[in-house]
Amino acid sequence: MGYYALLFIAGLAGSFHCIGMCGGFACALGGDPRGRSATAVRHALYNTGRLTTYCFLGGLAGGLGAAIYTCLGMRSQLGAPIVSESLVALQRGLAVIAGLLMIIMALQFFGLRGLRRVTTGFGGSTLATALRSLLGTRGHAAPLAFGVVNGFLPCPLVYAMVAQAASTFDVLSGCLTMAAFGLGTFPTMLLMGGLGRLLAPGWRQHGVRLAGSFILALGLVTLGRGIVPMTAHGLHHVWHFA
Amino acid sequence: MTPAPDGLCRHCLLPLGRRGFVRTVNGESCQFCCYGCCIAHQVKSGSGDASEAAWFLVRLGAGGFLSMNIMLFSLLVYSGAFTGADRQVLPTIQLLLWGLATPAVLILGEPFLRETWSQALRGRLSSSALIVLGSLAAYLYSTLAVFRLGGHLYFDTAAMVLMLFTLGRYLEAAGRARASRDLAPLLAAESESATVVEGVEEHRRPVREVRAGMLIRVRPGERIPVDGLIVEGCSHTDDSVISGESRQIAKTIGGSVLAGSINLDGPLLIRSSGSGDESRWAQICRSVRDALRQSSRTQRIADRVAGAFVPLVLALAGLTLAYWAQRLPLDQAMLAALSVLVVACPCAVGLAAPMAHSLGIGQLARHGCLVRSPGALEALAVTRLIAFDKTGTLTLGRPHLVDLAGDGVGEDEMLARLAGLERYSEHGLARAIALAARARGLEPIATEEVRVVPGRGLRGVVDGELVAAGTAALMHELGWQLPPALVERADVMAASGHSVVFIGWSDKACAGRARALLSFDDTPLPEARATIDALRALGVRVMLLTGDHGGAAARLAATVGVEDWQAGLAPDAKRIALDQCRPRHGAVAMVGDGLNDGPGLAWADVGIAVGSATDLARETADLVLPADGLWLLPWVVGRARAVRSTILANLAWAFGYNLIALTCAMLGLLQPILAAAVMAGSSVLVVLNSLRLERLPGPVYPSALQVAAAARATSEPQPREHAERARQRVETPRTWGESSGELRL
Repeated sequence: MGYYALLFIAGLAGSFHCIGMCGGFACALGGDPRGRSATAVRHALYNTGRLTTYCFLGGLAGGLGAAIYTCLGMRSQLGAPIVSESLVALQRGLAVIAGLLMIIMALQFFGLRGLRRVTTGFGGSTLATALRSLLGTRGHAAPLAFGVVNGFLPCPLVYAMVAQAASTFDVLSGCLTMAAFGLGTFPTMLLMGGLGRLLAPGWRQHGVRLAGSFILALGLVTLGRGIVPMTAHGLHHVWHFA
Repeated sequence: MTPAPDGLCRHCLLPLGRRGFVRTVNGESCQFCCYGCCIAHQVKSGSGDASEAAWFLVRLGAGGFLSMNIMLFSLLVYSGAFTGADRQVLPTIQLLLWGLATPAVLILGEPFLRETWSQALRGRLSSSALIVLGSLAAYLYSTLAVFRLGGHLYFDTAAMVLMLFTLGRYLEAAGRARASRDLAPLLAAESESATVVEGVEEHRRPVREVRAGMLIRVRPGERIPVDGLIVEGCSHTDDSVISGESRQIAKTIGGSVLAGSINLDGPLLIRSSGSGDESRWAQICRSVRDALRQSSRTQRIADRVAGAFVPLVLALAGLTLAYWAQRLPLDQAMLAALSVLVVACPCAVGLAAPMAHSLGIGQLARHGCLVRSPGALEALAVTRLIAFDKTGTLTLGRPHLVDLAGDGVGEDEMLARLAGLERYSEHGLARAIALAARARGLEPIATEEVRVVPGRGLRGVVDGELVAAGTAALMHELGWQLPPALVERADVMAASGHSVVFIGWSDKACAGRARALLSFDDTPLPEARATIDALRALGVRVMLLTGDHGGAAARLAATVGVEDWQAGLAPDAKRIALDQCRPRHGAVAMVGDGLNDGPGLAWADVGIAVGSATDLARETADLVLPADGLWLLPWVVGRARAVRSTILANLAWAFGYNLIALTCAMLGLLQPILAAAVMAGSSVLVVLNSLRLERLPGPVYPSALQVAAAARATSEPQPREHAERARQRVETPRTWGESSGELRL
């Protein structure tokens, strides 16, 4: 449970980054002329759409991980203990990827703009253009669709989480991983919908710094998990022998 | 915007093709080549009616929401999340899947169903029938399984297949629209409207209703709708649509503006100088549209094959089902058949050629080169022999008078008569004569009934007496005598490579005879040699076919580096010369400009007109290069080859891929969702491969060094003029008849 709580917090902290892009969309989605409850429904639908995309990506990544797992598992029946090692290596590799993405992300928080092109240049503009045309549309399906497409917008934090989900080697866990992360982004995004423009820029700047530090720490921990465990394992062996 | 021209898709401006249909958007009837374009058009132009505009994305998004949920739950079921203690929730999950899949299939499948139905009413079996049949089969089977039979569910297959195809079509439409980006301003001429000022009132009117003399207001940033003169205001304009050259040109009161150019920074009031559909821009627009509407042979063959494909695939799917049903459970056999249906959708085949064509035609047009048909582009790509005309093509077309000799007539009289005769001719020699006459302060003698004798010269009537100027053959044809002194003189002049013109007339006293002789010399184009070298580097043989005599041809051939030449050819003889080359070289292209090239240009597989081509030459030419645009030819050839190889690669990919994937699907090796993904991906790949054409480099003017070398190589007495000309062209590399002020299509 602690694992999912950590992911939830990652989402919460990371969503300060979303203020830039997704928050902008949430603001743009704006209020509903029919009143507060309608506005709330509008934003709830938008976020549900986004969450669905995240869960889907998580489930897919988990399923992919599971497929690789089964593949390697089938080969293990031929009787080689290498399998568990290669699985661990895979898991570590994914952790390294996730960690690096988080660190890149965190560095962006601190204003390293050059990296932005590396992470968001991938078809983002086409999607963003498509999104814009959805904004003015009435009805409940539009904010939902908006959220769904929004979820696919390239974002290193999402990539990191997807890598994390893949390393669970299970559809359900992958899905839950992304769900926890997605739910973590809810508070900020819902707030952005309501009072996005009320937040003072200075406060936002602090928030972004804080979030950046947290993501950086999380990224380093994840990266560490990718690199360190084996060494720790080795140390354990050393101690065992000693 | 008013309706797009007939036969072209409203959104991407490509030919409608087999999937074309009509839909009412914003109360207007529009034609679209595919569903994706219809949607993309609505998204783009639907600012007035937002709900209509974004309906597709809502559809895609809501469909995506449902499909992703279906996929997620299906994945959970497959991964065994609902086994053991959670087993009792399984029926609920199945019901939930059905509840999600029903709207998903309705939302995403409706356009495909509609297309199938409208094609079926016309007695055609469209490729969307395959998609509809496949996804409906999966959906109905699974519905039965939920409520009656039990067993595996394939809602995920049905939903994801539809989702992927919808997405593929949207991406395809986006790619098509991007491919036609270069063409859009060229094709906008007829759909543009103008702000007509009448007294104090201003009305928006379609351009075709604008007549000469009307006052038109053009705001900054707008496109100038008609040719005209500026009455009020001053501004800069960008004439790139017409001249192919993006450059700001200052305009002020009294200045002329061209339809199609963009008014950059100041409001202008213009008096229209002609009706809206007669402007250069409208003419270019008509020519480009006609080019796009035609399909090349390659595309026609591909379309026919794709048309035969659909029934074939249905049959194969039936066979697959029958075969596997005997060996596997029914649902797995069905899955295999479904993969066959989905993977065989020949969408990419229909895309293979039109996109590459429109990209090619659009880019050439942007540099001032107009193509009459996609077929011409493909023919140029396989051409291995290009024949050039001499005057005005490889030379400046500005000959100057070198020498003149009379037989019993004064030089002034003969020049004045000649100037009168040649007054309305566009031939290069006419200008030289006019210049020489003006230099001597002579008034041209009024001449009536001037007629062109193609390849021979001109004839006319002065005071009821015949006067003629041209080759010795013309004099013979008229039965006029050639004085031996003149013939002898002519031989000397011709031997030194000059063009010789006889002039003769009849008068009351005596019958007509040749009375004088003039010799002219022409300057080779500074870039001619570099152009010919570049063509040769492309593996194209070059030859010179001229109506001029041998001496001039030989001298020019040596200067520009052509080994093969034939001189003294009448227009018909050029045709015969081209015919003789065909067996050895296959397709033959002919480059020319003058009146006497018309038949040659028409006869060649690809007729290319350069520069101040006369109307007739342009009518018969398949490709028109801008004035001073000979140097573009190697680039055009390269571009034509790139277009052709792109099309061939697209077709090879589309067909080859279909065959391989079809085989895999029939063997039961391909999951339907994967099949749909790779199929949609195949269309996108074809689009991306075609868009690669966009990235090819633009034309480069032969470097100053090469041109200078060419200038040195010529023995002309005006090196300064050469260098000047070369320099000007480096600065203004693309011009549409700027110097001649002439552009008719």
